[in-house]
Amino acid sequence: MTNAAELKTDQLFINMGPQHPSTHGVLRIGLTIEGEVIVKAVPDIGYLHRGTEKLAEVRNYHHCVVLTDRWDYVSAMPNNLVFCLSAEKLMGLKVPPRADALRVISCELNRIASHLLFFGTYGIDTGAFTPFLYAFREREMVLDLFEMLCGARLTYNYIRLGGVMVDASPEWRTRLAEFVEYFKPRLDEYDTLLSFNPIFMARTQGVGRLSAEEAVNWGLSGPNLRASGVDYDVRKHDPYCGYENYEFEVPLGAEGSCWDRYFCRVREMRQSVRIIEQALAKLPEGPTMATGVAKIPKPAAGEAYAHVEASRGELGIYLVSDGGISPFRMHVRAPSFVNLAMLEKTLVGMKVADVIAVLGSIDIVLGEVDR
Amino acid sequence: MTQDELFAKIAARFPKIEKAAVPVKDYLTVRLPSKDDLLPLAQWLKTSGFDYLDMLTGTDFLGPVDMKGYIRQQNFNVFLPDGATPEIESAATPGYAYKPVLDLLWSFVSIKERARVIVKLEVPRDAARVPSLAGLFKTADWQERETFDLLGVTYEGHPNLVKILTPDFLQGHPLRKDYAHVKDRFDD
Repeated sequence: MTNAAELKTDQLFINMGPQHPSTHGVLRIGLTIEGEVIVKAVPDIGYLHRGTEKLAEVRNYHHCVVLTDRWDYVSAMPNNLVFCLSAEKLMGLKVPPRADALRVISCELNRIASHLLFFGTYGIDTGAFTPFLYAFREREMVLDLFEMLCGARLTYNYIRLGGVMVDASPEWRTRLAEFVEYFKPRLDEYDTLLSFNPIFMARTQGVGRLSAEEAVNWGLSGPNLRASGVDYDVRKHDPYCGYENYEFEVPLGAEGSCWDRYFCRVREMRQSVRIIEQALAKLPEGPTMATGVAKIPKPAAGEAYAHVEASRGELGIYLVSDGGISPFRMHVRAPSFVNLAMLEKTLVGMKVADVIAVLGSIDIVLGEVDR
Repeated sequence: MTQDELFAKIAARFPKIEKAAVPVKDYLTVRLPSKDDLLPLAQWLKTSGFDYLDMLTGTDFLGPVDMKGYIRQQNFNVFLPDGATPEIESAATPGYAYKPVLDLLWSFVSIKERARVIVKLEVPRDAARVPSLAGLFKTADWQERETFDLLGVTYEGHPNLVKILTPDFLQGHPLRKDYAHVKDRFDD
């Protein structure tokens, strides 16, 4: 280091985004670097803010379900579900068991589609293009299944107040069973393709580590929290839609590094497949929509909170009703928004090349961050 | 832990705290007598297992939302003829007691006990100031900024209380019920 004095670098400001392929949307990060090391990172969000919480205040409850699709648009089923659960709590609606099972199936299927998108794009983020093609081959099948079920590929509006839009046809159930059989061996393929690829592991293991206490303090949820070894899954802790009747495990990581966050999601897909299989095997007979759902519901004045384990973490809705036809107040506890907050502090001290590895591993959807 | 056991535990330590008149359904909801009790309670909750601050937000109970806060006419039914009355207009519900307060809410979770306690506090609309929890829970940082941006609550002691979601030129706090939109260059 004899030339240290001549090699001294000044601080440099780098603007990343909002139009950048690796930010998966319109996220801007202002990075201050010194050589290769980040000394300051300032995430700038809000480019996709559409004010859905405000819009909900002049729409009736059925209309609000449509708004929910637009938050996390790559996994919209849980969004539909959480609003319906919360509104059903306010209205005191009881959902028939067949609708519950269909809700579980569609949400888990959506989790697979969402995690496949993560799997593919995270490979691209870290320099492996091939897994993306495999992931999208399977994701396409899931989206086809959704199209067959409710006519939409991304914004479903399938889960409605009191149940689901339509019953699943026998052909759809056959197609789903075929997909599940096809998909199971693919998961092993993914592990050989990317999970245990030495280059990928060297790129992500030990990067962006987060201890369990820190993860809890940051309020992370979903695979991000579980990668740090904290066993918190809403499906187990506060079961909804009869999740207590299904057998599944909650995959946990060890050290909360990027690879742990990645591998938690890959293992979660396996559990989702298990849940879908069980739900398909014991799909109860009966109606798929509760009776007595008003065309324009007017729940009694009160407050309700419902939360679900969405693909990205704990998605919660806090609803206040004043007895009118629109929610008086709707607040979304958006997992992507809360998870992203940790970026500001965790990036400091890292190499600039690791920004993408960390950002990709948090798996955000900007539609949900900004709402 | 049942809700009553949990409440007994809190009441033993903080006798002034009461159960909220309007609870959040299915969860224990307590109301703080004043904003000075927030920090001691949060501190105590954090050390007694409730170390996961799940959510914080607020509600403006001024009255029905002002239609001036929306950019476009709320005429949802495109099949209605021009000039027809919109299907949904904001209207006050008869018999509901609106009041000019901001009702703030914090939701603490104990992952180990699988329990949740929701803490509420009423503050006046024109002096909405409460202590910040950002020092205890890092997750409060962005969520408090969000509530500040959308509802205009000042969190005292927050390290960086600036707008987060709405654009810089936007005036006011959109989720306040009397918010009125000011025309800007992005309209129409």
